Amino acid sequence: MAPTMSRQALLPRTAPFGDQERAHLDAALGAATPIQRAWLTGFLAGLDAAAGQPAAAAAAPAAPPKAAEPLTILFASESGNSEKLAGDVGKLARKQGFKPKIVDFADLDLATLPKAGKLIAIVATWGEGEPPARAVRAYGELMGDAAPRLEGVEFGVLALGDTSYAEFCAIGKALDARFEALGAKRAYDRADLDLDFDKPAAEWIKGALKALAPTDAPADNVVAVDFRAGAEDEDGEVSREPVVVEVIDHVNLNSSRSDKETIHLALEFEDGAPAYEPGDSLEIFPENDPQLVDEILRATGLSGDEGLRRALLAERDITTLSPTTVERFAKATGHADAQKFVESGEVKAWIEGRHLIDLIERFPAKLTAEHLNTVTRPLPPRAYSIASSRKEVRDEVHLTIAAVRYETHGRARSGVASVHVADRIANGAKLRVRVKPNKHFRLPSDPSTDIIMVGPGTGVAPFRAFVQERRATEAPGRSWLFFGDRHFTHDFLYQLEWQDALEDGSLAKIDVAFSRDQPEKIYVQDRIDQNAAEVVAWLDGGAHFYVCGDAKNMAKDVRAAVVRAFESVKGLSHADAEAHIASLERTKRYQQDVY
Amino acid sequence: MDDHKPIDTPDGPAVDTPGIGARRYETPPTDGPITEAEAARAAGLAHNEHLKIASGYLRGGLADGLLKHATGAISEDDGQLVKFHGMYMQDDRDIRAERTKKKLEKAYSFMIRLRIAGGVVTPKQWLILDNIATTYAGNALRATTRQTFQYHGVIKSNLKRTMAAIDSALLDTIAACGDVNRNVMAATNPAQAGAHKVALQLAKDISDTLLPKTGAWREIWLDGERVVGGEDAAEVEPVYGKTYLPRKFKTVVAVPPSNEVDIFAHDLGFIAILDKKNRVTGWNVTVGGGMGMTHGETDTFPRTADVLGFVKPEDALKAAEAVMTVQRDWGNRKNRKNARLKYTIERFGLDAFRAEVEKRIGKKLGEPKPFTFDGNGDRYGWVEGDDGRYHLTLYVPSGRIKDIDGGPQFLSGLRRIAEVHEGDFRLTGNQNVIIANVPAGKRAEIDALVDEYGLTKGASAIRRSSLACVALPTCGLALAESERYLPDLLTELEESLARHGLQDEEITIRSTGCPNGCARPFISEIGLVGRGPERYHLYLGAAFDGSRLSKLYREDVPASEIKDTLEPLFAAYAKDRQPGEHFGDFVIRAGFVAKTGNGPDFHERTGPLRGA
Repeated sequence: MAPTMSRQALLPRTAPFGDQERAHLDAALGAATPIQRAWLTGFLAGLDAAAGQPAAAAAAPAAPPKAAEPLTILFASESGNSEKLAGDVGKLARKQGFKPKIVDFADLDLATLPKAGKLIAIVATWGEGEPPARAVRAYGELMGDAAPRLEGVEFGVLALGDTSYAEFCAIGKALDARFEALGAKRAYDRADLDLDFDKPAAEWIKGALKALAPTDAPADNVVAVDFRAGAEDEDGEVSREPVVVEVIDHVNLNSSRSDKETIHLALEFEDGAPAYEPGDSLEIFPENDPQLVDEILRATGLSGDEGLRRALLAERDITTLSPTTVERFAKATGHADAQKFVESGEVKAWIEGRHLIDLIERFPAKLTAEHLNTVTRPLPPRAYSIASSRKEVRDEVHLTIAAVRYETHGRARSGVASVHVADRIANGAKLRVRVKPNKHFRLPSDPSTDIIMVGPGTGVAPFRAFVQERRATEAPGRSWLFFGDRHFTHDFLYQLEWQDALEDGSLAKIDVAFSRDQPEKIYVQDRIDQNAAEVVAWLDGGAHFYVCGDAKNMAKDVRAAVVRAFESVKGLSHADAEAHIASLERTKRYQQDVY
Repeated sequence: MDDHKPIDTPDGPAVDTPGIGARRYETPPTDGPITEAEAARAAGLAHNEHLKIASGYLRGGLADGLLKHATGAISEDDGQLVKFHGMYMQDDRDIRAERTKKKLEKAYSFMIRLRIAGGVVTPKQWLILDNIATTYAGNALRATTRQTFQYHGVIKSNLKRTMAAIDSALLDTIAACGDVNRNVMAATNPAQAGAHKVALQLAKDISDTLLPKTGAWREIWLDGERVVGGEDAAEVEPVYGKTYLPRKFKTVVAVPPSNEVDIFAHDLGFIAILDKKNRVTGWNVTVGGGMGMTHGETDTFPRTADVLGFVKPEDALKAAEAVMTVQRDWGNRKNRKNARLKYTIERFGLDAFRAEVEKRIGKKLGEPKPFTFDGNGDRYGWVEGDDGRYHLTLYVPSGRIKDIDGGPQFLSGLRRIAEVHEGDFRLTGNQNVIIANVPAGKRAEIDALVDEYGLTKGASAIRRSSLACVALPTCGLALAESERYLPDLLTELEESLARHGLQDEEITIRSTGCPNGCARPFISEIGLVGRGPERYHLYLGAAFDGSRLSKLYREDVPASEIKDTLEPLFAAYAKDRQPGEHFGDFVIRAGFVAKTGNGPDFHERTGPLRGA
């Protein structure tokens, strides 16, 4: 660690700092621009003035303040929630005198972990109990035999998940156990948080930092300096306050002969669209199906309570059924059979494909509004990849939303937000939304870089934004889209727009895979196989590769196809091809936005 | 019954047609086919002529167009060329309106028409064709009015697979459409096994001889290798040259007394002249029939064919080639609406045309021999052939071989039959299917399957005598419904006819969505030709045997009023007809509508002549 070796030292050896601190300051100040140095001068003077100390006093020799406690904040994020919380931890930790270092699991070098000292891991669980895609490599290494011992490391794990999936917070739980098994000391107990994590996460972070703080350094003694305070917004992030927008276009993109329904939604922001980037998502605050609300009210004998009805419509998650829901229900109602059911160990299997209404119907009980509030969680917003670029659509945001409808256990089910949008929203309607940035799904900074986009179904949404952006900015890089769905004639989302893009050059190539147009299923990964040589040539030429859409199968199959392409075209071994794709992922040239 | 007399004077009908004086003919051209240089000079040539010249023997941009994955279409020019390969690009007009709003292009697909000379396929071929229908073409096979199958709704990405499957049945689609000699029809007449065999063989020989020789079809659809060299027209297309024909060219072979192939509606025809033992002694050659016309353009008209002369069996093929090449060289290449052989003959006269044909054959044609047709419909039910085999003709509504909800299961039933059948299948020009060459011992098994799948339900006399073209939603030319409308109209007419005791009367009725005439509406006793949504021109007075054209009786009749328009005519027919008199003859004799000669007078004296 000698960043100043090659550089002229600014601070004299006599400066009141330790060697290491002097080196750090040299590094920071040496690289600072004149404006940054001037700012620091004023800032430090002002800081001291505010503390009522003459600036000279600071220069008076004193015992050197204790060096800040290093803290590694490790996150594994898919949707960006863990990453955002990691940022929150960093901010608070800095205020409390830690020297936080935020590390993405995707970039984790395992060899550095034993030296971490203090460690907070914020870990999302994805799909059916899997780590976020970008974290797969490091997670695998950490769980493997070659993982280093972690004696001397103190840690806390914050697990994020979604109770509507079977393996709730599985990855967080596994890591928590693994750290301990590797010899680290649990300084603070793990919390497993559902989609409504905001408040409990803040509490957990406070507690964890307190537990991890060195005993001889009372937090009060540390000057709370947030060097980032005063910046206009965190990382230039857009506001997280929900905004009400108007629906100005609402079209089902599938033909009337299709069995699918995909809504193209154009939303207008009265005061200008927030500063979203292609790759970002927009969260919609949906409302529940009024019929389902009434059904629940009827089943619980609460019909007629208008206030409760409104709350159930817009505020509570009245569909998700998790073991927790069942436990809370049994406890709240005191229903003996429900209690027995909880103890039976059959809950997990039974809730599969079932919703809250099924539970209420199985264990009829008179409920109070308070009961319902206890049993349900707050209705979370749903995020959709933005399908537009501000450079082309100005004050609008476009979304591409597939209506989710299916039947389980003899009852028609529907996705809360998607069917709200499909069935109960029309032109002129209002929606509450907010932008959810996704820094890990970004166009290359160099507009002359080629891009390959794989986006079947609604996975095509961000690529519509990408193509709009690159057209508006006249980016010279080539763009290649792989699209797929069921039927060419009925499900080719935005077909006319892709034709225009091919015409004007903002799209260089398109390959399509329609699974049900012929006897054998053809998927996007098959098209990648067929175009292996060209895909490899583009990637070797520096192209970035993007995948958006289904996480369960598609994203994995596409990745495997790209690995295969390198094997077949370049004659690489499977391990080498795999390593090559992994390096593309590390260097952010292979990015995914999957769900 | 003068209309059932053979047409024994070649240009006879024109002479006694009221309103038409002696025709003036142009001087025939002396030169051979147009040369490339000539074509290039002639700025007035129809666009399609330039396309053909530039296409490199029908290749055009088709191979590249198949690789354009973002569109289900091919270019407009390739859309013209692809017809020569047996395909029409179409779109689903039912859902056209919603497409742009949904950011979708038109719902393009392709109609694929096979070339099956004489309409005979083996059970093995049937099963392959059935499999194609269920895999790529919306679970339907359509028997056409020209004795072949067509598929609808095949999307671009499936074209090559479909063609490969057709190839695996040892069939193809070459020249099923386009400016070439199209599928050659032949009489199916199962009772005359010997004559049928000879007619079928002639149809096959003509089909093979006049088939385009370009390798484009195999190359584009089956990834065949392009034969290097051979850019010389004389080598690549010895008969057609680079520009093929000015317009479509349709050939049929008939065996009297059945005119099921509608010989007078075709460019070229051969009428078998039989001896007393039903052996073919030679052929009367007919030329210049055709249906297509354009609404509002009276210089376009349907025309019944003239009998050109008689040829011996050994000269038939030469005669076919000669007639086609004279049309190749004399036909109008500047105006496609005036390009069919019927107009060539009108322009130059039958005598000049005959002289040129004789010159090319190298001998004179004989005088036409007498012949008699008794109708142009099919003989339904079982028929025993003169070779002791049995033949079952099934009525297939509008030729649509599919499974109908709550109705006959044509596709499934015929598939089951194909699995056990040892003879062959024959398609008729009336869109029906014959299960042919069944040994006596197999009849019961076939009958059981026919019953099981309901294949003989719902066929009244008028229904069995009906034809309808496809029209909406797939045909780009349709101005009104046809196939989807006619069954409902027939239900109304069945009631009306029954009221007058005419339920067993065979009256030919045909409908088309436009005046191009795919279902030959101008030679049926009742003809409906689409004008606009739910509006039809109503034509009456054609001969039952297909030898005389009809006349426009009422213009733009709303679909809802067609029954009421016909009702009083049915009443009068029931009351005043002479024994054996057909409806088409009656309406002329009774003075309801004027009689049409062989075509140029088609637009004269239209409308009702008296109140009904």
